[in-house]
Amino acid sequence: MKILRGTPAAPGLAIGSAHTIRPFPPVDITAKRTTEASVETERLEQAIGQAITRLDTLRVAAKGPTANILEAQREMLDDPELKQGADDLVTSGFTAEAAVTLVAADYAAQLASLPDPYLAARAEDVREAGRRIVAELRGTSLEVHLDYAGILVAQDLAPAETVGLDPAYLQAIVTETGSATGHLAIVAQGLGIPAVVGVAGVLTQLDEGTTLIVDGDRGTVTLAPDEVSRAEANTRIVSAQQERQDLQIFRDLPGTTADGVRVEVFANIGSLAEARKAVEMGAEGVGLFRTELIAAGGIPSEEEQRVIYEEVAAALQRPLIVRTFDIGGDKPVPGLDIPAEANPFLGWRGIRMALDRPEAVFLPQVRALLRVAASYDVRIMLPMITVPQEVEEARALIDKAMQDLQRSGQHARRVPLGIMVETPAAALTLDQFRGLVDFASIGTNDLVQYTYAVDRTNAQVRERAKPLGTATLRLVEQICQAGIPVAVCGQLAGDANAVPLLVGLGVRELSVAPARVPAVKRMLSTMTLAEMQAQAQQALNKP
Amino acid sequence: MMERTVMLGSKSGLHARPAAIFVQHAKEFKSQITLSKNDKTVNGKSILSVLTLGAEQGDQVVLKVNGDDAEAAIDKLTPLLEGDLG
Repeated sequence: MKILRGTPAAPGLAIGSAHTIRPFPPVDITAKRTTEASVETERLEQAIGQAITRLDTLRVAAKGPTANILEAQREMLDDPELKQGADDLVTSGFTAEAAVTLVAADYAAQLASLPDPYLAARAEDVREAGRRIVAELRGTSLEVHLDYAGILVAQDLAPAETVGLDPAYLQAIVTETGSATGHLAIVAQGLGIPAVVGVAGVLTQLDEGTTLIVDGDRGTVTLAPDEVSRAEANTRIVSAQQERQDLQIFRDLPGTTADGVRVEVFANIGSLAEARKAVEMGAEGVGLFRTELIAAGGIPSEEEQRVIYEEVAAALQRPLIVRTFDIGGDKPVPGLDIPAEANPFLGWRGIRMALDRPEAVFLPQVRALLRVAASYDVRIMLPMITVPQEVEEARALIDKAMQDLQRSGQHARRVPLGIMVETPAAALTLDQFRGLVDFASIGTNDLVQYTYAVDRTNAQVRERAKPLGTATLRLVEQICQAGIPVAVCGQLAGDANAVPLLVGLGVRELSVAPARVPAVKRMLSTMTLAEMQAQAQQALNKP
Repeated sequence: MMERTVMLGSKSGLHARPAAIFVQHAKEFKSQITLSKNDKTVNGKSILSVLTLGAEQGDQVVLKVNGDDAEAAIDKLTPLLEGDLG
């Protein structure tokens, strides 16, 4: 038994036998033809035609990014300059195989030297197009066939090579090169197949049929595992399958307690990819779209933001609560002159910055959101609120943005307005926000930090904060009595110990990481509201 | 010969898919079609050549068309370059 380490690229565990794919036999690029040039160019033309036909068959099955790359690759095969360049080399004496390889390598080198990393990465697609033609010239094809269950082990797998694979037979993927964010990782995650990449030298250490355990969570590959390791892997595989099956039914069910009280289970997201994941996991909406990621390179224009929010809203097709930029001294933003502060968590951040710099920070975002709201269910949530006056000022700015949009003839719609409750000030006086806000969402991470006076980034004191302590729970109780619909979007919302307490205190929306959605729905379904209320009452008075 | 200077509209520049779409349309015409950026001029019907321009959104590119259907080609290809190109 031997354990090799690589980079985890797609989660999951598999045990099976290795199906190895040895590298493409190299082309002798100095080879001179022994036939007439016209015979060789004719061979080349036929090979290109066959490669195109084969690729067209593959493209039928391909979707998304893979389909885009195959479409571009088809154009590469059919490229008049590629054919002309290869024909010229054939005329000067090279074989068709050498000629097409040399021309493809030349274009690949030109692309690899471009500053745009995406275009530079297309160099591999060009080389692959060249290999496709060479494979046809040799009377083979580039595609990998797997007609029995196995774990694919290869130096690298190009996207096109994975398209022809039947997921029913593919147990896992192991490659010698590649990164956690490469094509292969995306394809494997999409198929739900465990993958470990960057396992240097793996091909030289195993044979066709060697038994392997592939752990896509830890990034390990176990060669010829002993009895104990096999048994352990099998146990984990069975329990993971059971867990997935158990949770499956919750994806499409609404969140309810055992006695049928509705508690909506939403997702927290920060990107389009996470929005898609939220839909896949059965989230009933997005309770927190953190927009800070969008601003990481400087605040984008209104139009740029509109495109981003529209993509996310279109992917969701369900309620989308967007938190306006929660920027502060601890996360510098290019183009915004934020002075260094001794206490950034108590400083110029969130709504404070938005109100002080409406044109630079707040209004472009609000206008973009109001425009997207014309077509989708979008709601706005304000961060770091302490007193009602801040909401009044923000509302005035939002109303002004609405008027400006209407005057200029843009489609826009008024949206529900909510606040994050993350300061004790807002928690203790939430009843005074009635009439001003349509909903409130508790940001537990900050609320706990401000309540217990514990900087959550300071490892020395971090453990002293009590997310489920009496002080936190009493604040949640008070928040829920304010007469405003209350959600929780902090980490607590996905915590098995916290869910009954929060719901028992009156929370009716939990917003959690997309992958947690089915598990939270299941937690809700195991207890009645009365049981949760009893548990909460007990916890409120625990010293 | 007809010539247009166009500001590239595609969000991702002339990346693989936008370039493929442009080339597919260019091939519908008999005319000779070239694209230039800075001092580099390439065959507009060759995706490999078009990709080597490394053109990004907002870049000025020059579209030149020479042939019998030049006018139709210019009318078709100019808005493609200005737009999103999928």
